[in-house]
Amino acid sequence: MPQSLQPWFLVIQRLGIALLTLVIVSFAVFFATELLPGDVAEILLGQAATPEAVAGLREAMGLNEPAISRFVGWLLGLAQGDLGNSYVNNMDVAELISGRLSNSLKLAGLTTLVSVPIALSLGIGAAMWRGSLFDRIVTVLTISVISVPEFMVATLAVLIFAVWLDWLPALSYGVDVSSLSAMLKAYAMPVIALSFVISAQMIRMTRAAVIETINTPYVEMALLKGASRKRMVLGHALPNALGPIANAVALSLSYLVGGVIIVETIFSYPGVAKLMVDAVSTRDLPLIQSCAMIFCVSYLSLITLADVIALLSNPRLR
Amino acid sequence: MTKTPNNWTSRDDAMVENMIRRGASRRDLLKMLMSSGVAAAAGGSLLMRASSAVAATPVSGGTLKAAGWSSSTADTLDPAKASLSTDYVRCCAFYNRLTFLDEAGQVQMELADTISSDDAKTWEVKLKSGVSFHDGKSLSAEDVVFSLNRHLDPAVGSKVNSIAAQMTEISKVDDLTVKIALASPNADLPTILALHHFMIVADGTTDFSKANGTGAFICEVFEPGVRSIAVKNPNYFKEQGAYLDSFEFFAIPDNNARVNALLSGDIDYAAAVNPRSSRLLDGSDDVSTLVSTSGNYTNLNMRLDMNPGDKAGFVEGMKYLLNREAIQKSAFRGFAEIANDQPVSPANRYHNPNIKPREFDPERAKALFEKAGVLGTEIPITASDAATASVDMATIVQQAGSQIGMNIKVDRVPSDGYWSNYWLKAPIHFGNINPRPTPDILFSLLYSSDAPWNESQYKSEKFDSMLIEARGALDEERRTSIYWDMQEMVANEAGTAIPVYISNMDAFSAKLGGLKANPLGGMMGYAFAEYVWLNN
Amino acid sequence: MMADSSSTTTTIKGPSWSFNWVGRIGLGIILFWALVALVGPWFSPYPPGEIVDWDFFGPMTGDYWMGTDYLGRDIFSRILMGARYTVGIALAAVTLACTLGVILGMVAAVAGGWFDMILSRLLDAFNGIPSLLFGLVVVAAVGSSIPVLVLTLTAIYMPGAYRFARALAVNVNTMDFVTVARARGESTPYLILREIFPNILGPVLADLGLRFVFIVLVLSGLSFLGLGVQPPNADWGALVRENIEGLSLGAPAVIFPSIAIASLTISVNMFIDNLPTKIRDRSE
Repeated sequence: MPQSLQPWFLVIQRLGIALLTLVIVSFAVFFATELLPGDVAEILLGQAATPEAVAGLREAMGLNEPAISRFVGWLLGLAQGDLGNSYVNNMDVAELISGRLSNSLKLAGLTTLVSVPIALSLGIGAAMWRGSLFDRIVTVLTISVISVPEFMVATLAVLIFAVWLDWLPALSYGVDVSSLSAMLKAYAMPVIALSFVISAQMIRMTRAAVIETINTPYVEMALLKGASRKRMVLGHALPNALGPIANAVALSLSYLVGGVIIVETIFSYPGVAKLMVDAVSTRDLPLIQSCAMIFCVSYLSLITLADVIALLSNPRLR
Repeated sequence: MTKTPNNWTSRDDAMVENMIRRGASRRDLLKMLMSSGVAAAAGGSLLMRASSAVAATPVSGGTLKAAGWSSSTADTLDPAKASLSTDYVRCCAFYNRLTFLDEAGQVQMELADTISSDDAKTWEVKLKSGVSFHDGKSLSAEDVVFSLNRHLDPAVGSKVNSIAAQMTEISKVDDLTVKIALASPNADLPTILALHHFMIVADGTTDFSKANGTGAFICEVFEPGVRSIAVKNPNYFKEQGAYLDSFEFFAIPDNNARVNALLSGDIDYAAAVNPRSSRLLDGSDDVSTLVSTSGNYTNLNMRLDMNPGDKAGFVEGMKYLLNREAIQKSAFRGFAEIANDQPVSPANRYHNPNIKPREFDPERAKALFEKAGVLGTEIPITASDAATASVDMATIVQQAGSQIGMNIKVDRVPSDGYWSNYWLKAPIHFGNINPRPTPDILFSLLYSSDAPWNESQYKSEKFDSMLIEARGALDEERRTSIYWDMQEMVANEAGTAIPVYISNMDAFSAKLGGLKANPLGGMMGYAFAEYVWLNN
Repeated sequence: MMADSSSTTTTIKGPSWSFNWVGRIGLGIILFWALVALVGPWFSPYPPGEIVDWDFFGPMTGDYWMGTDYLGRDIFSRILMGARYTVGIALAAVTLACTLGVILGMVAAVAGGWFDMILSRLLDAFNGIPSLLFGLVVVAAVGSSIPVLVLTLTAIYMPGAYRFARALAVNVNTMDFVTVARARGESTPYLILREIFPNILGPVLADLGLRFVFIVLVLSGLSFLGLGVQPPNADWGALVRENIEGLSLGAPAVIFPSIAIASLTISVNMFIDNLPTKIRDRSE
């Protein structure tokens, strides 16, 4: 195989494996859901769940078919792009998800735009001037920021900016987003709260990875020979540290789709994280599966992207 | 504006408002306040706040944004399936019932014109004429027959299937008359029909993605787990329709976030706020509160057929070990009334006031535990956030137990699946029971030998026969006396310890008028949207 | 060309940059909390579950040094008791997760091939299972206890540690000095321990510090799944969470547990940040 095609072959191979991973995760999620006590009929009836009522509802919902065959049916439907219907409200899962997924992606996208550039520059800067006052301040601030629980950051932000100062709305959904400034206002607090949560890992890991590359003999030699520190960091250390940095960024960003339940709750923002919680608590298998697939796809694409960046950035890995 | 006294709480506000409603004059009230040490100036401003909440002329127009506390993809506009406050609020806005309960707990007619019976077994319901659904169809007997029959079909998954099961025949007599035959006499039928699940939907409805009802509001947007938007129904059958032009409802599950959204003016109504927020709300002039006690309770259930509940003396010992005052004051910050181990609350006209709550008496409990032979053994109690404040209550019992050498172990289990896995099943666990309008419903759901939710597995033939006798008794006095005896039996014999009836506190913008407490629950028994208005 | 620059790493020798004051402060605070975790409960003025005050979110007083919580319990006693759970569980879980993750990550990077491929994809798949579902299944299957809690946390945080360590190790593995060592015929364990490990130690420790913070904070979230510390005890995160309503009132009940968390997590990271040079000096 020609040398230049090899990375692309690797990429295609990785895509195939990602697909396989999805199927495995889907089965794992299915078995996990089956392990949980109670089924959708019992949960929907709640305190009114007498054995006869549960049996009747199960019958009506078509739940008497074995779970595994229902699941395989769902999987086959998925292959044709059909996410099935929710057990709980009989709505098309695709319809349930689409609006909330776009909400989640909007929030994730904005947070990425804000946090990644800031986090990377802070991390690289801290590494470049390691041990300086700048480095110390960045370090202390970073750790302080993630040491505060997420729900406290969000609550405090609402208290200060919405209740006391009255600058921003306390809710982020269903408020006026017609103009750009109104939209910025609505999204400001959740985006900042989330940036706080995810930036720390990126800053710390970037700093650590860059410092480690500066410490490699090659860069050290060059520095001893009088090369400019800034040029060495940006020109040599950074490209070599790109793999670990990309991984840290990917791990941080993967949190933004499924893990933002606290921010969604406090700012009353309907996204997919709350959807997943609802789905699990009602044992709504098609919805659980669909959400899990979304989380998994976003996670896999991020880490695959990180792996590809790592491969491309380090010629010796090819 | 004059400062309110430091120790003034929203509970006091509610008390003053209540007095005004009962007709107390400004002078009476000021005298009462002065005698309790409130300075005249401060007293005056308190009264202004309270009386403006009570006596005001309704204003039409405006949009009300209200937030409840729970919402999920299981939100439904099908009244039969309604299970949470969020569903009740929406159903009350879009549909009507045959009857409803007013703030005094009395049955009033809504879609029904009259409901009558000679023997409490066969009932005739006459409907109001000129009522129409949102799609233009007029209300007729078929709609009522269809709506009530749905509850008997297991495929619907009705929450009141077991209550509806007594209706053996529901049939149309003429266009506006329905006959309901019961399996055995039940004088409570008009009250039962006031339950939120018995809302009337149009004949043949199967699609509940939009609500087609007769209610004061028309459903414009409904996204389960997100929100609903309702607009005023211009063709409402009541003379006074809704004051609001539109009404948006959604949930903010986090109490703090709900309170903050209210304080910042992003919503006008925050339902069921935590009593601990009262200190914060009291500090704001833009916000008022309404407290209602309607008989909701969290109880400690000891199964009488399992160890250690089957040991004589254990259950009684636990009832003495419950520090009701601590639960009322610490877990509920005073927003609760001390209860006497039986489910009929003071909000109900059949409440027996002669049963005194058991005193907190650790020594007596110790003696009883010794008799039961459980002193010094480890007693596990299952608690969960699913049952309001049960973890706090368990901690309070645990602490009391440690003082007399009882080793009580608290198992905090997830809310997820609590009602299907732990409730009714664990030997000692907590339950949470919503208010029900009649003792008959409470006793037949919770205490008769064949009750579906017999929390402590209490079985008594005498109790069962009293239940049936009271159900058919049209003589009020006889009924009351049977119900009083039954409450005493439950308090002394059943394994359910009911320490307090929990009050509900709703907080809302001071601009909101027309709100009154209702025995069916907070938010005026969930029906507030139709009755409230927004002052400018 | 690079072969002569000895098998191990650092040649930069700044002015003997031993254990500086920042690191020392960090270590001091860690030791302080470790001591509190060990003996604190004996000094606590009240039992952690006892309601000592009818009032709630009480101020700091002579009787209740750090105020009272939402139920009227003494916050000082609860923090002393919580230290044991917070420090103990987080330390155990982070050590397990990182040790396991880093070892597997280095082995996968050096071994490469199918082993690397399968392990990486398996852990990816595991990470793809939502942790909410995972937590609930654990409770349903094996119930709740402290060892289960530690293992669950390990399972949740190990794949991340693995991924990061592997990414670092893969890079180091391609460097000349490793190639040289391999050419010398050194065994795989030697390569991993002597060549790779010292060269990824810095970032790996930084990663460990962060994971420690995450675990301290996630503990209180798990108690909602029934997996956490059981009443009357509570970890610090749970103390913050259950008293969060006091935030708008400026209650000490929410401030002191937050300070406890911050002091512990910041000092762990401070300590780690100022540790590597010393360790690296020693490995020379």
